[in-house]
Amino acid sequence: MLGNISLGRFYPAESLLHQLDPRSKILSAIAMMFLIFMSQSLWTMLILAFITFVFVGLSKVPFKTVLSGLKPMIFILVFAFTINLFTVTGDPLLEIGPLTVSDQGLLTALRMASRLALLILNTTLFLTLTTTPIHVADAMESLLNPLRRIGFPAHEMAMMMSIALRFVPTLLEETDKIMKAQSSRGADYDTGGLITKARGLVSVLIPLFVSAFKRAEDLAVAMEARCYRGGEGRTRLKVMAYQQRDIWFGAVMAALVVLVLLASYAIG
Amino acid sequence: MKPFIELDSVSFTYHQENAQPLIAVDHVSLSIQKGQHVAILGRNGSGKSTLARLINALEQPDEGSVLVDGLLTNLEENIWEIRRRCGMVFQNPDNQIIGTTVEEDVAFGPENLGFAQPKIRKAVDEALAYVGLSDMAQKPPHFLSGGQKQKLAIAGILAMRPACLILDEATSMLDPYSSDELMKLVHKLIKDEHLTVINITHNMEEALLADFVYVMSEGKIILSGKPAEVFDQVETVKSLGLDVPVHCDILYQLSSMLDLPLMPQETADWSKACHAAVRLLDQSEAAGNIHLLSDQSVFNKPGLVQDGSPNQPEPSGSAADGSKEEKIPLHLTEHQQQAAEKKPKNPEAIVEVDGLTYTYTPGTVLSTDALHDVSFKVFRGELLGVIGHSGSGKSTLIQHLNGLLRTQTGRVEVLNLDASNNHDIRKIRQHVGLVFQYPEHQLFEETVFQDIAFGPKRLGLDMNQVEQRVLKAARIVSLSEDMLERSPFELSGGQKRRAAIAGVLAMEPDVLIMDEPAAGLDPAGRDELLGYAAKLREMGVTVILVSHSMDDIARMADRVLVLNEGRVHAYGTLDQIFNDDTALKAAGLSLPRPVAFMRMMKTQISSISEYAYTPEQAAIELIRAYCAQTADQKTENQEKDDQKTAGREKASQTKDCRELADQMKAGDEHAR
Repeated sequence: MLGNISLGRFYPAESLLHQLDPRSKILSAIAMMFLIFMSQSLWTMLILAFITFVFVGLSKVPFKTVLSGLKPMIFILVFAFTINLFTVTGDPLLEIGPLTVSDQGLLTALRMASRLALLILNTTLFLTLTTTPIHVADAMESLLNPLRRIGFPAHEMAMMMSIALRFVPTLLEETDKIMKAQSSRGADYDTGGLITKARGLVSVLIPLFVSAFKRAEDLAVAMEARCYRGGEGRTRLKVMAYQQRDIWFGAVMAALVVLVLLASYAIG
Repeated sequence: MKPFIELDSVSFTYHQENAQPLIAVDHVSLSIQKGQHVAILGRNGSGKSTLARLINALEQPDEGSVLVDGLLTNLEENIWEIRRRCGMVFQNPDNQIIGTTVEEDVAFGPENLGFAQPKIRKAVDEALAYVGLSDMAQKPPHFLSGGQKQKLAIAGILAMRPACLILDEATSMLDPYSSDELMKLVHKLIKDEHLTVINITHNMEEALLADFVYVMSEGKIILSGKPAEVFDQVETVKSLGLDVPVHCDILYQLSSMLDLPLMPQETADWSKACHAAVRLLDQSEAAGNIHLLSDQSVFNKPGLVQDGSPNQPEPSGSAADGSKEEKIPLHLTEHQQQAAEKKPKNPEAIVEVDGLTYTYTPGTVLSTDALHDVSFKVFRGELLGVIGHSGSGKSTLIQHLNGLLRTQTGRVEVLNLDASNNHDIRKIRQHVGLVFQYPEHQLFEETVFQDIAFGPKRLGLDMNQVEQRVLKAARIVSLSEDMLERSPFELSGGQKRRAAIAGVLAMEPDVLIMDEPAAGLDPAGRDELLGYAAKLREMGVTVILVSHSMDDIARMADRVLVLNEGRVHAYGTLDQIFNDDTALKAAGLSLPRPVAFMRMMKTQISSISEYAYTPEQAAIELIRAYCAQTADQKTENQEKDDQKTAGREKASQTKDCRELADQMKAGDEHAR
């Protein structure tokens, strides 16, 4: 049943990473991204890879599950690797027909690929595998809250994200129903060329949009009826509060940033 | 005492682009006391939902004033307090849930009110415990059933500590079991929390539970009073496109047949109605009128044929009537009767389902058995009712009948085509039309004509044939030609649904499956839609009507398939199904209301047959059974020497029965 799908790839477990405040995890993910972008040598890459493996260990998410996060990006990874491998010039190592692989090419390709892979692994680990989407939304709101003073709609964005998350299963179910209804009237979504398929999509998308608008209208009224009037003066059932472990983790992250920066400077 | 809600000559108009302004509420004045339970009845578009929005300060009146708990709704500073005090439950369970988990949703109101965190926690936990959803607190809302979602909506309101609850057709998308549960919850709230309740509804039985009823039409209040007072006005209520509760209708029919008036509020509840029936019959007997009816009469038919109900003892006096020709029971509605007469000896099975078992997402933790060893046949030309409450497997089953779901185990054959074979499925879809629940959601073309033409075009017909089919389909559901050129999204709710049904009819299916075609419609709309099902059946289309309304199924179907937890719970003719209500109860279903009423009347008139499927049949049967009973009493007092002649007379009267029933019906229609 479509109704039973779960969003994202949250992996339920009880680990340090799961228990961290979602804001700590967003900040950590940003710190890791920063380091990954800053690191220029393969050596620092190796250090970062090691740190990432430690985080995976702390998350209690099976390594295989974490790696499977790379699957949708595999094409880009291979592409980035190959392009760098054959285009960067340096001392030739290998010649395959008209193509040349240089030592610089190999190094750059490895660096690019590992940089991309580490970026993906860290963000999925911190933001999808150990944090539910709704927590990410809440944390974003809280982190962006100071920007409200300059007119940034932090609360509205978080509310939109949370409503979107709430309605994804509902709309999936609806799509399934509409497709079945149109199939009963002879629509065929499986065969035919691209144009036929695209035209067939119209018979699904229009009803889906009409219904989504209706739902949006209903929901707006329901929200007003329950006294919703924007973020002003609104409290929360679940108040995010940094715990002791967040402070420890934050301290460790800060130390890591400094260390890796120094190290990469030293290695140069 | 100062009323809790007071409307003083309130008017409200919707101003739409490219359309006439719509006066939704027209000088309405009413007052509701604290703790009162009020029902507001009216057809779709009669202004009752707008009235609710005016009370909840979601709209401000153009004229007049709305006062809620001493606060005027048109003052900006009062709005939020009014909305806190008056919680509102809407029709569509899905479109009012905001939170991504059950408890987050309950917290939404208190969060908006700026309650401190511990206070929110307490309010949420208490509200969830009150409605019985505590163990679902962490679940995402799409794991809940429709009934649970509405309970969640009530919890969300309770957490705001309200004084008033407004239900805006809150039960209209629920099955009878869930609606009952929800209304029980509402009554518990009235008792425990002394909440003022305003229930906007199409359900007349729900209105009976109220202290006071307002009936709206075209923005005005037409009737008001205690439920019993309002439902005394049977003709007015029916002329407004509404209905009266079944027992009121039976008594109304009885009183007009006997030509005796009912006393005010004599049908306030079932037991009063029961006494009223006996009073009317006795009075008619005393005046000798009932025998004028019975002498020539329909009503004297000795015992209804207990078709296929072996447990039922033959009613006394039916001995003379064992002949085979009398196999057609009187209590069938007209179309059912005609069908019974026309029924060929060996009916052709147009759909055959054998040992069908279906599991969703097999082999995973989420795997659920939706169907288990389901077998049945549908015969050409019949109307098969499929009943069962939400989650009983009805939807899964019908999706197998045109190949939308592939068979896993078992066989589905339609017109000897195999629904598991890809090639056959294409053909099957041409023969089996499926009208989904809320079919209006599938409209998408620019004009109604094009939308209806979607199916026929797919069949590869030429434009001429397509047009013919569209016009024919439109005619069946009474869509006028000028409507065909309009956008489907401009139509009213009922018109949209008819257009969507026409889209399926234009495929000219041999078998038409209708899933809950009357869902969410008011009584007149429901009757109209069910009328189309009957019409199609007369045109020779085999109809499978899926519903959770026992009353509708009893009125319409030739045979019934009862599903419960994915299994065939009962399967057979109406009489066979309703003979054993313990089986129905086990499936969470109740008897059709006329049958239940007749069962209660049995304590008064023992020879009564319970198998009455419409109020009219019930009234006829009441008169018949009463006459039979008094006749029996007389014969007991008399000498038995005339017994043979009496028997012969009865037999001759029997022949006239159906004829007279028809006369009665014709007369009734004429009177209307």
